[in-house]
Amino acid sequence: MERQIHAYACRRCGALHYPFRMVCRECGENGPHEFDPVPLPKEGTLLTFTFVHNLPAEYEVARLGLGVVELSNGLRMLGQLDIADPKLGMKVVGEVEVVRREAYARRYGMVFRAA
Amino acid sequence: MREVYVAGIGITSFSRLEYPLAEIAAYPAMLALRDAGLKAVDQVYVANMGSARINNQTALGSAVVDTLGLTPTGAERIENGPASGASAVKQGFLGVAAGMYEAVLVTGCERMREVNNLEATDFVATMTHPLAEYIYGVTLPAHAAMFTRLYMERYGVTARHLAMVAVKNHANAMLNPFAHLHQPITVEGILDSPEAFTNNPYVAEPLRFFDCCPVSDGGAAVILASREKMAELGKPLIRLAGIGQATDTLAVFERPDPTDLLAVRRSAASAFAMAGLTPGDVHVAELHDAFTILEIVESEEAGFFPKGEGHLALEKGATALGGPLPINPSGGLKGKGHPVGATGVGQVHEIVTQLRGDAGERQVAGAKVGFTCNFGGFGNNVISMVFVREE
Ligand SMILES: [Zn+2]
Repeated sequence: MERQIHAYACRRCGALHYPFRMVCRECGENGPHEFDPVPLPKEGTLLTFTFVHNLPAEYEVARLGLGVVELSNGLRMLGQLDIADPKLGMKVVGEVEVVRREAYARRYGMVFRAA
Repeated sequence: MREVYVAGIGITSFSRLEYPLAEIAAYPAMLALRDAGLKAVDQVYVANMGSARINNQTALGSAVVDTLGLTPTGAERIENGPASGASAVKQGFLGVAAGMYEAVLVTGCERMREVNNLEATDFVATMTHPLAEYIYGVTLPAHAAMFTRLYMERYGVTARHLAMVAVKNHANAMLNPFAHLHQPITVEGILDSPEAFTNNPYVAEPLRFFDCCPVSDGGAAVILASREKMAELGKPLIRLAGIGQATDTLAVFERPDPTDLLAVRRSAASAFAMAGLTPGDVHVAELHDAFTILEIVESEEAGFFPKGEGHLALEKGATALGGPLPINPSGGLKGKGHPVGATGVGQVHEIVTQLRGDAGERQVAGAKVGFTCNFGGFGNNVISMVFVREE
C-alpha cells in the first residue's frame, strides 16, 4: 500500500493541521481525539530550498536537497528534494520514502521530484 | 515589581576550553561576584543547552553551585535552546523583581567542542520539529539558508550584503579580547578572489562558511540586584528596564509569511513597551547573528530599520562601530562565538560593558541605552531586553 503522511482535520471547525498539535489553533478545541487524519496531497509548488553540505554521518551523500513545498490543499511541508537544479515556484510531486537511517530505525518522509 | 540592576559581570574567552563544563560556568561567575563585590547571592541560575547530550552531565545547577563553594544556596539549570542565556537572566530578574531575592547569580555555559562539528550541528538540530523537520536531515544552517533565499528574492539582499555583516563583525571581534575569532576578513577574500570558494565553501546554499557562527565553548555571568542592594555595592546603575519574550510555530514552514520573524518583532515590542522606550532611543545593540542574514532581519524586526531595509542600513555603515547604531560591537555570534547556553548572558555582558563605558577600543561613545536579542530555535523562542544607564 502506498505510504502516506497525514494532516489532521479539526472535528469542530475543519481546520487542517500539519504537523499534529493537540489543540486546534483556529477554534481552541481540546484533545488528541478531536482530529481526523487526512492524507497530505503529494503535488505542490516549491517555495524555497537549499542544499546542505555538512550532514550528520548517516547521510551517504555529498549534499542533501531540502525544500519547503506548498501542497495543493494549501498546507506546507518540508521535504527532501531529488531535483538536480530546483527553481523557486516549480511544480513538484512527492513520494514517501526513507529519509533518515538511524541505528535501529528507518524514518519515512516525503521526497519531492520535478512534476 | 521592583527595579532590577546588573551589579556584576564576568566572561571567559569564547573558543575551545579544555576544562570541565561546571568550571566554564563557575569561572565567569567568580569574576562577576568579584566585580559586584559580593561573596554570596540568594540564588544561582545556570543557563545551558547541551550538557545532558554533549557532556554527559545533568543537574548542572547543583554542580556549579558546589564548584563555586556556594552551597546551600538554591540553584537550578535553565534550558531554552539557544535562548537559554536570556531565559536565565529573565528568571533572575523575576526573582529580584518579585522581592524574593536581593541578589542573584546568572551564569551561562556551553562546552560544544567536546564533540566534532557534525555532531554539534546535529545536536543543535534536535531543537527542530522531531517528525516534520529533524528526520529530513534539516540543520539550523539549512533553515537559515531557505530563509535567506526568500529574503534575497523578495528584498534584494545579496551574498555581498551577507559578507559585509561577516566582515564588520570579524573586525569588531578583533577589538574584543574574549572573542573566538581574531581573523580579519575582507569581501574580496571571501567572495571575489579566485580562492574565495575554497576559503568560503557552501554550508547550506546560499549560505557559506563565513555566513555561519563558529562552534564555541564559553561562559558568561551576571549578578542581578535590587536597588537597595545596589546602594551597598556602589557600582554603576545599569537597569534591566525591559524584557519581552515571544514564541512562534516549532515547524518553520507553518508561518504565514515565511520572511517574517514574528517572535523577534513581538519580543522587542514588549521589551520596549515595558521599558517605556522606543527603538530610536537605543545607542548600541547585540543581535543574535548565528547566521549573517539574522543580523539584518533582526535589525528590522526589532524596529531599528523598516522591513526589507536592514541591508541598506548596513551598506551605509549605519550599524558599524562609529555609525548611528552600532550592532554587535562585541563581534556578535559571528566573531565573538556562540557557546549556545552562554550566548544570551554574553550579550548582556557586552551591553553592560558598553553602558559602563568600559569597552575600550570598541566603545560606543556615550552609550546610555542598550538592546539585546537572544534568538532560540529558528525564531521560535526569542527574548529581547532593554538596558538603561542611570546616573
Ligand atoms: Zn478547530
